[in-house]
Amino acid sequence: MVHNTLPGIEAIFVNEWWWTASCEYADIVFGVDSWGERKNLDATGSCTNSFLHMAPRSPLNRIYDTRGDAEVMAGISAKLGELTGDPRFVDFWKFVHEGRDEVYLQRVFTASGATRGYDVLALEERAQQGIPALMNFRTYPRHGGWEQRQENKPWYNRSGRLEFYRDEPEFLEYGENLPVYREPVDSTFYEPNVIHGKPHPLIVPRGPAEYGLALDDLSTETRQVRNVVKAWADLKGTTHPLTAADDRFRFMFMTPKYRHGAHSTPVDLDWMSMLFGPFGDAYRHDKRSPWVGEAYLEMHPDDGKSLGISDGDYVWFDADPADRPYRGWKEGDEDYEVSRGMARARFQNAMQPGVIRMYYNMYVATRGSVRGAKERADGLAKTPETGYQAMFRHGSHQSGVRAWLRPTLLTDTVVRKPFFGQELGVGFESDVHCANGAPKESFIKMEKAEDGAPEGGLWKPARNGVRAGYESDLMKQYLSGGFYQA
Amino acid sequence: MADVFNWQLGRDMQYPYQAERPARQIAWIFDTNKCIACQTCTVACKSTWTSGTGQEYMLWNNVETKPFGFFPTGWDVELLNLLGPAKWEGGVSTGNTVFESAPAGERVNGWLPTSEHWAHPNIGEDEPSGPVERGTYIDKLPHDTWFSYLARICNHCTYPACLAACPRQAIYKRPEDGIVLVDQERCRGYQECVAACPYKKVMFNNESRVSEKCIACFPKIEQGIQPQCVTSCIGRIRIASFISAPETVNPQSPIDFLVKVRKVALPLYPQAGTEPNVYYIPPMHAPREYLRQMFGPNVDEAVETYQQIAADDELLGLMMLFGSTERIMHSFAVKDGIATGYDEDGTELVSVPLREPTFIREYFDEVHNTYRQNIT
Repeated sequence: MVHNTLPGIEAIFVNEWWWTASCEYADIVFGVDSWGERKNLDATGSCTNSFLHMAPRSPLNRIYDTRGDAEVMAGISAKLGELTGDPRFVDFWKFVHEGRDEVYLQRVFTASGATRGYDVLALEERAQQGIPALMNFRTYPRHGGWEQRQENKPWYNRSGRLEFYRDEPEFLEYGENLPVYREPVDSTFYEPNVIHGKPHPLIVPRGPAEYGLALDDLSTETRQVRNVVKAWADLKGTTHPLTAADDRFRFMFMTPKYRHGAHSTPVDLDWMSMLFGPFGDAYRHDKRSPWVGEAYLEMHPDDGKSLGISDGDYVWFDADPADRPYRGWKEGDEDYEVSRGMARARFQNAMQPGVIRMYYNMYVATRGSVRGAKERADGLAKTPETGYQAMFRHGSHQSGVRAWLRPTLLTDTVVRKPFFGQELGVGFESDVHCANGAPKESFIKMEKAEDGAPEGGLWKPARNGVRAGYESDLMKQYLSGGFYQA
Repeated sequence: MADVFNWQLGRDMQYPYQAERPARQIAWIFDTNKCIACQTCTVACKSTWTSGTGQEYMLWNNVETKPFGFFPTGWDVELLNLLGPAKWEGGVSTGNTVFESAPAGERVNGWLPTSEHWAHPNIGEDEPSGPVERGTYIDKLPHDTWFSYLARICNHCTYPACLAACPRQAIYKRPEDGIVLVDQERCRGYQECVAACPYKKVMFNNESRVSEKCIACFPKIEQGIQPQCVTSCIGRIRIASFISAPETVNPQSPIDFLVKVRKVALPLYPQAGTEPNVYYIPPMHAPREYLRQMFGPNVDEAVETYQQIAADDELLGLMMLFGSTERIMHSFAVKDGIATGYDEDGTELVSVPLREPTFIREYFDEVHNTYRQNIT
């Protein structure tokens, strides 16, 4: 995105309360309140939680000269109002300009079935005393589909019944009118995105030829739209196009959310970084480490060993060179040094062979952080001018993964519930029926970059025999419960 | 040296000081079966007590995945190596404690971690005990391939090794509640305590040049409130209260009930001989050999009793009270599907149902003029 997309954008403004990679590449950064400093009343909930979380206005002083997120929007809008002379730019943010969030929030609560009847100021006062509030769904606890099951109320689709056959033209065209299984678009050992199945009278998709594509065109973008049906007997003899070109490509690469954070919860504090997997170290005994914690590739020990990689080593990882780490990369490019992926190898018996996992949602390498690691006396991957702190020496999870477009998510004919409210609609709907960037998956090769120990050789815990696959005799006795006699 | 009675060992043992049990002894129960190693306890403790210079590496509370997790690295492997195999005969530990096996000239058989041992505090997280073979199918307890979470704090031992080892008597055990503390004025940073503690819960401060440790959040205890690690636990796996003297059993005390009546909660590495006061409900799914090495011979009985919890309202009710109140519960009672926790003077602190009630609202709420939906 940094190399191929951002150059096409005129300007980037970011609201942030600590310096992230978005800030590194922004033209303007607006410093906004952290959760503990917020002066605007707000609330949140989640799709499975029966509780309504009020976020009362904070009595704490702001630490820096920040504003609330909505104030930034209202401020920019007011300036646009001055330029255009259109009063709506100010009027629409009246509740912010007057410091009366409760007016807007109350309208939302009154219009929403599960919160109608609540007084937001009364809820805020109760929240300040630690008294929780409930979302008033049909049942407590909330069971999605309860009314449909118990009271035969219709489901939110065209027929009102659970539908296991799709007759929309796009689904017929893409070969997904029945529930079918498709190989992943990238992370598969076989021909990508193939629909599994023997010939079936109901599965008759438009194939590549009908789109003007060659049948053997398995290139990166084309893969997303190939509707090819193959029986497993035929599929199992095929190979991923990357493997066919370079047999070092043989690892599926997954980048799930970290188990200590959600997608929008910062996990990049120094303490979280220290607790993040096996490589955290408050005092950075290994000065190559970008920070007090860093990214790692989890792999089955056999996969590492097959490549001459040991637990704790630094490893380069590369995905489809057609567009990763960015389109047009060349060895020797300054940006290639920034963007090629490097992380520690972590041997993990819980991984199955052939699958590599790397948790994402941590600070990526930037031009500044890579430069910082070279220029700073302490070797931290920290941009000198901004203090941006990376958790990668090079690259990021996006050196490997990318989003894929699924045609079945991009139709204009699926009947679905809207994001807000109960009135059915058709086609595109944000967060319901649209393109999305998850799951990210890709197919990679790996090669050893550096030994795990700064002085050369195995990283210390492996050398000391406390790592799986490197167990000392003492450790083996411990593992088997051998220090016990009845 | 004195002879003191260690009830967990089932015998007298040698200790440098006379026995002097506190008026009451603070104790904890941790249910390992509910811990998810979210580390909220770790961060709650650290943000309260160890956010300062010199404390960067310290985790007075830590959570490690067993068997490949440790903080510091390899601490219990080293402990077991020093002691040799635990020996139990008819409920009595016949092996030597850290005091009884101390080398000549030493009071405690211990070891001093290096700076590198304290690195990698979450090493081994979520790593299984060994390779997973193709076709592995888990359909029985215990699991052949397993991992489990062990949350740890200072055990505020009855016979602390740290206290025994200090040449300056700079460590003391409070007579009113048994909390063990390092006198920051008296300590000179010899680190004998750091080497002595079998659990490695005394830590040297690089900046102040003296040692420090978990203080059981004593300012909270003095106000009748449970420690930070207990109140912050989102899994509600912990409780802090007081355990009676070994010869007493008070079935209404939460700790006594779990340790002495139901006997589902066990001390950690009791063979070390310090009589630790954090008691663990062992993980049901871990192999018994490993668990006996860690918790002693009563593991099987503890797990079996815990597995009957659905038919044991009193046990279930008490477990439901975990995490339900900030205040220390001195007693509890379970009656008619409700569990209640009480303050020292018998005041009701909190009531919880044994089973989560369900409610079905009207489809159309006439008072508020709105429909109620589960799909919104």
